[in-house]
Amino acid sequence: MKSAQSRIKSISNAKYGYLFIIPFVVVYLIFHLYPTIYTMVLGFTDCKGLNNTNWHLLKGNIFTNFQQILQNKSFQTSVKNTIVIWIMNFIPQISLAMLLTAWFTARRITVKGQGIFKVIFYMPNIITAATIAILFHALFSYPTGPVNDLLQRLNLRDGSYNFFISKPASKLIVAFIQFWTWYGYTMIILISGVLGISPDIYEAADIDGANGVQIFFKITIPNLKTILLYTLVTSLIGGLNMFDIPKLYLNGGPDNSTKTASVFIYEQAFSGKYLYNRASAASMLMFIVIAICSAILFYLMRDKDAAALAKLKKQERKAAAKRASTQTWR
Amino acid sequence: MSKTSYDEPKSAKGPAYYGYKAFQYIFLIFLAIMSLLPFVIMIINATRSRSQIESHAISLIPGKNLLVNWKVFNGKSFNVTTGFLNSVIVSTGATFCSVYFSTMTAFAIVAYDWKFKKPFFTFIMCVLMIPPQVTSIGMYQFMYSIGMTNKLLALIIPAVAAPATVFFMRQYMAGALPMEILQSARIDGAGEFRIYNQIALPMMKPAMATQAIFAFVSSWNNLFLPLILLTDKKKFTMPIMVSQLNGDIYKTEYGAVYLGLTLTVLPLFVIYFLLSKYIIAGVALGGVKE
Amino acid sequence: MKKALSLLAALSLMASFTACGTDKPADTPASTPDSQAEVESSTEESSETPPSGDKRELKVWAFTTEVPGMVTKYMELNPDFAAQYEMKESVIATTDGAYQPALDAALAGDEVDMYAAEAAFILKYSQGEAAKYAAPYEDLGIDVDAKIKEAEIAQYTVDIGTNPDGKVVGLGYQATGGAFIYRRSIAKDVFGTDDPAKIKEEVGPGWDKFFEAAAKLKEKGYGIVSGDGDIWHAIENSSDTGWVVDDKLHIDPKREEFLDLSKKLMDNDYHNDTQDWQEGWFADMAGTGKKGILGFFGPAWLINYTLKDNCGDTFGDWAVCEPPVGFFWGGTWVLGAKSSENKEAVGDIIEWITLDTSETGLQYMWANGTFAPNEDGTPGTKDCVASGVVMAKSDGKVDILGGQNMFDVFVPANQFANGKNLTPYDEDINTAWRDQVRQYTSGQKTRDAAIDDFKQAVSDKLAIDAE
Repeated sequence: MKSAQSRIKSISNAKYGYLFIIPFVVVYLIFHLYPTIYTMVLGFTDCKGLNNTNWHLLKGNIFTNFQQILQNKSFQTSVKNTIVIWIMNFIPQISLAMLLTAWFTARRITVKGQGIFKVIFYMPNIITAATIAILFHALFSYPTGPVNDLLQRLNLRDGSYNFFISKPASKLIVAFIQFWTWYGYTMIILISGVLGISPDIYEAADIDGANGVQIFFKITIPNLKTILLYTLVTSLIGGLNMFDIPKLYLNGGPDNSTKTASVFIYEQAFSGKYLYNRASAASMLMFIVIAICSAILFYLMRDKDAAALAKLKKQERKAAAKRASTQTWR
Repeated sequence: MSKTSYDEPKSAKGPAYYGYKAFQYIFLIFLAIMSLLPFVIMIINATRSRSQIESHAISLIPGKNLLVNWKVFNGKSFNVTTGFLNSVIVSTGATFCSVYFSTMTAFAIVAYDWKFKKPFFTFIMCVLMIPPQVTSIGMYQFMYSIGMTNKLLALIIPAVAAPATVFFMRQYMAGALPMEILQSARIDGAGEFRIYNQIALPMMKPAMATQAIFAFVSSWNNLFLPLILLTDKKKFTMPIMVSQLNGDIYKTEYGAVYLGLTLTVLPLFVIYFLLSKYIIAGVALGGVKE
Repeated sequence: MKKALSLLAALSLMASFTACGTDKPADTPASTPDSQAEVESSTEESSETPPSGDKRELKVWAFTTEVPGMVTKYMELNPDFAAQYEMKESVIATTDGAYQPALDAALAGDEVDMYAAEAAFILKYSQGEAAKYAAPYEDLGIDVDAKIKEAEIAQYTVDIGTNPDGKVVGLGYQATGGAFIYRRSIAKDVFGTDDPAKIKEEVGPGWDKFFEAAAKLKEKGYGIVSGDGDIWHAIENSSDTGWVVDDKLHIDPKREEFLDLSKKLMDNDYHNDTQDWQEGWFADMAGTGKKGILGFFGPAWLINYTLKDNCGDTFGDWAVCEPPVGFFWGGTWVLGAKSSENKEAVGDIIEWITLDTSETGLQYMWANGTFAPNEDGTPGTKDCVASGVVMAKSDGKVDILGGQNMFDVFVPANQFANGKNLTPYDEDINTAWRDQVRQYTSGQKTRDAAIDDFKQAVSDKLAIDAE
């Protein structure tokens, strides 16, 4: 598409390319990269104690903090919890979001009033997580909270159930809150992805007589891969950083069962003995875990994705040439 | 062509079709109730007395204790207005910074050819992964050493560099920004900044609206960084204030706690239901691309 | 790509090292930002509060509204003072451990003039790593040693509030020896009397007698306490050693016994299984819980600060008697910040709160219910105070206890308040301990596993290893 014209212009244009990224780069360097490296460096120091500014690089074994963190049972538990809670929330979340996307974008059996449903489903996401955590804490409170009240009124239980002391129940509730706040968001992102797929492809499929289910699995999902990847990666990163809900719902308890890596890091760095160095080491380990997870995901999805994109582009080009209607879709 | 494809469902409207529809709607209504019920309980309990809540914490009939709860709540040192204003300042500032400058960065990537363009975009893809939490310790130490703790600005400026928004805007722009229009504007003698502000920005409105909403919400809901950076009560944002509702000074009066939660949420409800049209529309418009 | 990244990394590394270079020689923690912040805040004050522009702000930090309430009272009593200063209070509850991190950050940022600390963490602020922020009372213009003698302040209050240099930096206004606070009606129903002298024989001395009483109560459908937290505070502060001995985690045998006692309460259904400071616990004070609860363990402040507001219809149905084991619980110490620019004002208030023995002093009003009298002018709730002089001229008859003079019980109980089993990290360690005990009593864990996990949790969180 690019014409010779733009290539001629590109020399003078390059200047503006650099100019326009200056704010991003400057702020990034100062407020993001520098703190990142600062954190990294702190992991190798003896920096602990409230607002300690007089710290030194460790002498001897420079990886002491990292070794201590790796052996720290609470840290191990917190990483495990983070992953378990994320999976417990993400699988139902993405499944439900996909189902709703399929329904709301179905071209044959349309759902009436879907605007209202979308608004309602997305709503929990807009509400402050802190409010939600405390609200759910109140809802599940023992012995006289709304949920216990409901269970007893419906004769599902004789006495109250102490949700706050049961480890599985606490994990499940935190995962549920996450699921409940985020499925609407995921749904909206997926719908926008589906709407982005060229209608010509669907028309071609219609001509071939594909049914709704076939269209969804053979056309929608393959074409949605970029968006799915985006959702998966952002949700994974968000999930690995889960903080507000577990922190405010039960402060990581009971018995560390809802303590996530972020809560652990916060507790190490900003309460108790202010072990900044250990917390920094934990942060960096989490960072590595996140980086590896993301890299694997990108790698797994990259090739097929690129192929799909190329296919899509080809298709689009043909559509642009107004020959799509005669094209068959396999 | 299209006629044949739309004939099909009409002939398929048998009992199976209606059964399917019924299931669909029941399920959707169930989800809607699930999304709304906690808020309904919250609002209703905000009007009930402590003893009512203690005997039956769930009820669909509002009580008459709103005023009493308000008095109790007001007696605590909890300033909703301050928190709300601080949150508005931070979220608005952060949203503007994030959307404007991210779009600008994305524009630089899409509209111009420069040597480090590809590496730069790859870099953004990489730093997309770095969550603020893992760098918070360095962030705190840094902000502390430059005296930026307790400054709302400390929560706004970093939003200028929002890799996720840049990524999204680039994806959108790559499909929706016609280079020809930019070229013709150039031929007409428009400067590059004018092209960005007056031509490119307006064309990006739908995507920007969507991103603005997401940016606003995530900034509004952010608890971690404010909790670390703000200690002055006058500077507290809403989430910090809410987090204190859990404390024992409020525990005794559940009606007041529910009322406090309701107060923090009500303005959001209003804004959300006013803006929800734009969310749906933004999403729908976003679909025209590519 | 690689080039760009390495360039960025190199640049920022350089930046970080130059920053370190400027940081370290300064040695005094962040001296420049401090002065910046001061300038900043003074300009803010003048610009943001023009109507009361002349008034200086006193930043008061506390974990309950109690101390800010005292400051307000002091201003009411001293209009001259109130004309010069206004209070800006920050009240953050200790629940979930939120108070300390917030206070610490504020202290580091010079955002505090005066602050309160509870028994569970006072040592951190008076002797531990945050002691550097506390100003000695003498620097606040208080003739502290003479006044302490004159007012006959309880020695443990002074010991706890003395910093490693031997200077007093904090004093409490309460005496927090504990008693057993029980419902008269339930006592009558089960034991046939509500006389404190008889009830103390029923519930003690010792835990064996306590559980005998629990069994009797159960026959009539009552519980003896509301939750495990109630006996915990009695156990915690009757133990001989604290959590940390020679920098190692130490589990005092009496504290370890809490596992068994708590399990016994749970297995025999002797309580309502509530958690202290949670909804259910307060409900038991009002008698609206699952089953009627005989009583609570606590010092006089529990009556003053908690029971009074939550007892509902049970007002007047309470009495205090000697507990099965002597203990103390809590207490608030008041400190002034070293960085405060209003030291004199802070000193005035602190002296009034902790050392003034006159009838217009805080402690007299606190002990005699004239601090917050009822609407009809009768004395409000009373509390035991730290000054022996004040206690000697005070009268502890209160309506919530049906006219009983509670000082008869609390004054002897105060001998158990010694502070020798306190450590700077009690709040964190207690949270971990109670969490594990609850896991054990609810049957989710064995006794040994609970103890091991407790040790692990403390070591993980605070880097304090077990013995």
